[in-house]
Amino acid sequence: MPLVQRYGEHRYPGRLIVVEGIDGSGKSTQLSLLHKWLESKRYGVVFSEWNSSPLVKDTTKLGKKKKMLTPATFSLIHSTDFADRTERNILPLLKAGAVVLCDRYIYTAFARDVARGMDREWVRDLYGFAVKPAIAFYFRVPLETAIHRLNDARDGFKFYEAGLDLGLSEDAEESFRMFQGRILGEYEKMIPEFGLTVVDATLPIEAQQAQVRQIVKSHLQKATELRMQP
Amino acid sequence: MRETYGKQLPGTKISDLAGKLIVIEGTDGAGRSTQIDLLKPWLEELGHAVVDTGMTRSPLAGDGIRRAKETNNLGRVTQSLFYATDFVDRLENEIVPALRAGFIVLTDRYIYSLMARAIVRGMDPQWIRSIFRVALKPDAVFYLRLGIDQLVPRVVFTRGFDYWESGMDVYPNCDMYDSFCQYQAALLEEFDRLSAEFNFEMVDASADAKTVCDQLKGKILRLLEADYRESFLAQAAAEMAAVSAPASVAERAGPEWRKASGAGERFRQLAHLSLFPRLTRERVG
Repeated sequence: MPLVQRYGEHRYPGRLIVVEGIDGSGKSTQLSLLHKWLESKRYGVVFSEWNSSPLVKDTTKLGKKKKMLTPATFSLIHSTDFADRTERNILPLLKAGAVVLCDRYIYTAFARDVARGMDREWVRDLYGFAVKPAIAFYFRVPLETAIHRLNDARDGFKFYEAGLDLGLSEDAEESFRMFQGRILGEYEKMIPEFGLTVVDATLPIEAQQAQVRQIVKSHLQKATELRMQP
Repeated sequence: MRETYGKQLPGTKISDLAGKLIVIEGTDGAGRSTQIDLLKPWLEELGHAVVDTGMTRSPLAGDGIRRAKETNNLGRVTQSLFYATDFVDRLENEIVPALRAGFIVLTDRYIYSLMARAIVRGMDPQWIRSIFRVALKPDAVFYLRLGIDQLVPRVVFTRGFDYWESGMDVYPNCDMYDSFCQYQAALLEEFDRLSAEFNFEMVDASADAKTVCDQLKGKILRLLEADYRESFLAQAAAEMAAVSAPASVAERAGPEWRKASGAGERFRQLAHLSLFPRLTRERVG
């Protein structure tokens, strides 16, 4: 039996919940609020961040710092990181009956890598080993709102985040606008393709969180085998 | 015409790759690196520029893979993708530019070893193939084949057991020796399957290094012949003319002059290789 099955429905007792959206969409804020709420409800809950594998992240950092990454190696090193987190973290946690929260999931890779010119089918095949999340929230926000939030929060745009490796524009903000615009386009296509749950990320934080909690609550009520905190 | 296994890398033009991509494949202990060490200077002597490359030599992922392997805690999917990252980094930044510049690229292992290792570790064969669809189709794949009986002593009695070469991550309940035998036998079986699918040219690696090398040289010469016959013919003819025209001068100067000019030696070398049947017939025979 092959280990890899394309976006398999796992049969483990745990539940995987992921958030997606462009930088500045507020998804991380929402996930952190959800995390606190689930903990207060005494669920066994674990958070896993994109690009955080202890075995792989140094290589990604090196590639980014020295600007060595091409669209293909950018894609591959992120999939390597994700594979390590899947094998050593996400899958065992689901097996243990945890609620696993992921800030960014395979849809981030699909959006970014295709925006960088990688073949849509190739990238989807690449992540064929990923398990299907129970809920994938997509925080939909207009580009201008996201840029406004990012400009308020920090100075400057990062090289790869702004797609400066693609040579779309010399100007970082303009490049960011063009690159993230492509990413938004990819996300829109993925809503029906993967059944993403859309949240209007222009609403007040509280309103979004209430909606997120409502959806998660109704899902977890059906999950009877979840492991609770002592 | 140069092509990939089905998917293009963005920003990589492949229509102008003039060089030759030659793959040396085989299991551990088959003598791949020995052969490459012999072939490289030989090709250079013939006038070809050569680049050699191999697994985990990429500036991007080589060190990362080595560090991850030291932990003995590298998962199967992760491992397959880490090696794919290393491969594509070298493909884009080393192999393709060298081919574009007209080099012969000798590669110690290629996507086939990576596929075999992944499949033996339980990866879906279709999944691993789909990743390597971005790879260039090589001009030749020479598969140095060693039976399991010869492979075991060659590896074990020269460098001992290595955790990964023994496939200890695949058969964790075995001792090193049993794991090694099972793992290498599974790899051999997979290589034989890939051999048919990807048209490997089989070379019996159980012979001594020189015999294997002579076989490889013959195969490589046939590969290069079509492309280079014309240019070498012209060059060798010019060199002969330079030697034979002032024959009287050469006679008077004695053998030292010939040696110094190097041209006669060069011609004999070329003729001797019988690489150029037409040249040999017309000029020598």
